[in-house]
Amino acid sequence: MKNRYMTPLGWYWFLQRPAFRAFMAREATSVAVAGYLVFVLILLNAIGDGPVAYDRVVVNLKQPLAVFGHVLVFGAALYHSITWFNLTPKAMPIYIGEDRVADFWAAILMGYLPWLVVSAVVLWAVTR
Amino acid sequence: MARGATIKLDVFRCRPEDERGTFRSYDVPYREHWVVLDALNWIKDYMDGTLSYRWSCRMGVCGSCGMMINGQPALSCAVFLKSYYPNSIRVEPLSYFPVDRDLMIDLEGFLAKLKSIKPWIIHEDEKPLEAGEYLQTPGELAAFKQYSMCINCMLCYAACPVVGAEEDFLGPAVIALAQRYNLDSRDQGAEERSVAIDADEGIWGCTFVGECTEVCPKQVDPAGAIQRAKVASAKNWYSKLLPWGER
Amino acid sequence: MHHSKEVFWWSLFSAGGVMAALFMPALMVATGVILPNRGPAAHAQIHETVSFWPVRILLFVILFLSFFHCGHRVKHILMDLGLRRASGALAVLCYGGASVGTLAAAYVLATLGSG
Repeated sequence: MKNRYMTPLGWYWFLQRPAFRAFMAREATSVAVAGYLVFVLILLNAIGDGPVAYDRVVVNLKQPLAVFGHVLVFGAALYHSITWFNLTPKAMPIYIGEDRVADFWAAILMGYLPWLVVSAVVLWAVTR
Repeated sequence: MARGATIKLDVFRCRPEDERGTFRSYDVPYREHWVVLDALNWIKDYMDGTLSYRWSCRMGVCGSCGMMINGQPALSCAVFLKSYYPNSIRVEPLSYFPVDRDLMIDLEGFLAKLKSIKPWIIHEDEKPLEAGEYLQTPGELAAFKQYSMCINCMLCYAACPVVGAEEDFLGPAVIALAQRYNLDSRDQGAEERSVAIDADEGIWGCTFVGECTEVCPKQVDPAGAIQRAKVASAKNWYSKLLPWGER
Repeated sequence: MHHSKEVFWWSLFSAGGVMAALFMPALMVATGVILPNRGPAAHAQIHETVSFWPVRILLFVILFLSFFHCGHRVKHILMDLGLRRASGALAVLCYGGASVGTLAAAYVLATLGSG
C-alpha cells in the first residue's frame, strides 16, 4: 500500500496548541541567552582592557536600547530557569529509601534552593 | 434537553486508495450518558455501515479506540458528548500514523518499534524451575510499576510533534515500556535494549514537549521516562570514561 | 551498552541548561542594573573579582556549557520546524557556533590580566 493519507506536520505545528506555544517559548529562550553570552564576552573583554574600555561599555548600558535588551533577556532567562527547575525532577527523580520525593519538593531541593544561593553569591560578588 | 435532540459529528472518511480524506457529517441522537464511541456505534448501526474504526472494551482498558476528538488525542470511550453539546464534534484518526481506512490507523510501524526494544524480561542467567520465583520487594515493584500501566493506545504518539517529524524516533510509549523493563530488578536486558534505545533517533529526537504525558489515560508519564532514559544513558557513557568505571 | 554520539551533545546541553538556569538571571541583574549604577569607579573591584582564578574557571565552565546548551536547543528547534534533513549542516552550524563562543571565552578569560 502506498500514498496512504497521514496527518501532515506543518512547520506551524507549535502554534496549534497552548502547550506547544509554551514549549516553543521555552526553547526560544536559548536564542536570548546565546545573545547575552556574547555580551558577557564583550564585557569581560572590556574589563580586561582597562577602566577606559570598561567605562565605554558600562555608560552604554544606560541607553534605552540596552535597558530594553536586558529586560528582554532577563525575562527569557527567568522563564528558562523556572521551566528547567520544574522539569528537573521528571528527568532525575530523587528517592528517600523506596519513596519518590514529590516533584514539588524535589524541584525546590535540586533547583530553587541552589538558585537562591547562587544568585545571592553572584550579587554579593558585584556589590561588595 | 429537548426530546429528539441531536448532535452533529464530523467524521473523517478515507479509503485505502484515497490520497486525502474527507469529512462526512452525521446528526446523531444526543444522549447525556453517551460517549463519542456510542455515537460512532449508532452511526455504524443505523446510518452508515461502511464506517470503519477500532474498539473493544468500552471502558478505557483495551486501548483500541484512540482517535483525535476536536484535534485532541483521546479514547473515544472516555469522552462524553455532553462535554461538547450543542457544538459539533470533529472525529479524526490518530495523527502521524498512516490511515488504513476512516478512523483506523496502520499499527505496523508502532509494533516494529515496540518489538525492537524487547519488551519482555531478559535474565542473564535463567534459574532452574526448582529454584523458585524471582522475588521482588514492594519498592522494587514501585520502581517500574507506573510504566507497566501502558495500554498501547498510542495517544501519546498522536500528541508528539517529533513522532510526526521523525519516522525513526521510537516514540513515548515504546521508550516508557523499555524503561519498564530496564528498571525491573529481575531484568538484565538494558544492554540489549540500548541498541534500539540509544540509536541516533531512538530517544534523542525527543525535545521534552511533554504532551505525551498530558494525554496519557493511564498516568504513565512517558515524557519523564524518556528523560530518565537519557540521563541513564549519559551516566553510563561518562562512567565508562572513568578509569574505575564499569568496563 | 550501545551509545549514540547524541549522548555527548545532550549531556553538554543539559549541564549547560543547569548552568544557565542557575547563573543567568543573577548575572543579568548584575550587568543590567548593578554595574551601570556603580559606574566606572567599580572597575578595579570587578576586575579583581573576575580575574581571581577560581572565578575565571567558573566563568569559563558557565560560558562553555551555556553556549552548547543554546547551540543544541537551537539545532533542535530548527529540526522540529522541519529542517530534519539538514540536521548534519545544523550540527556543524550550531555546535560550531558554540565552539567559537567557547574558544572566545577561553581567550578573553585567559587575557584578563591580574586584578
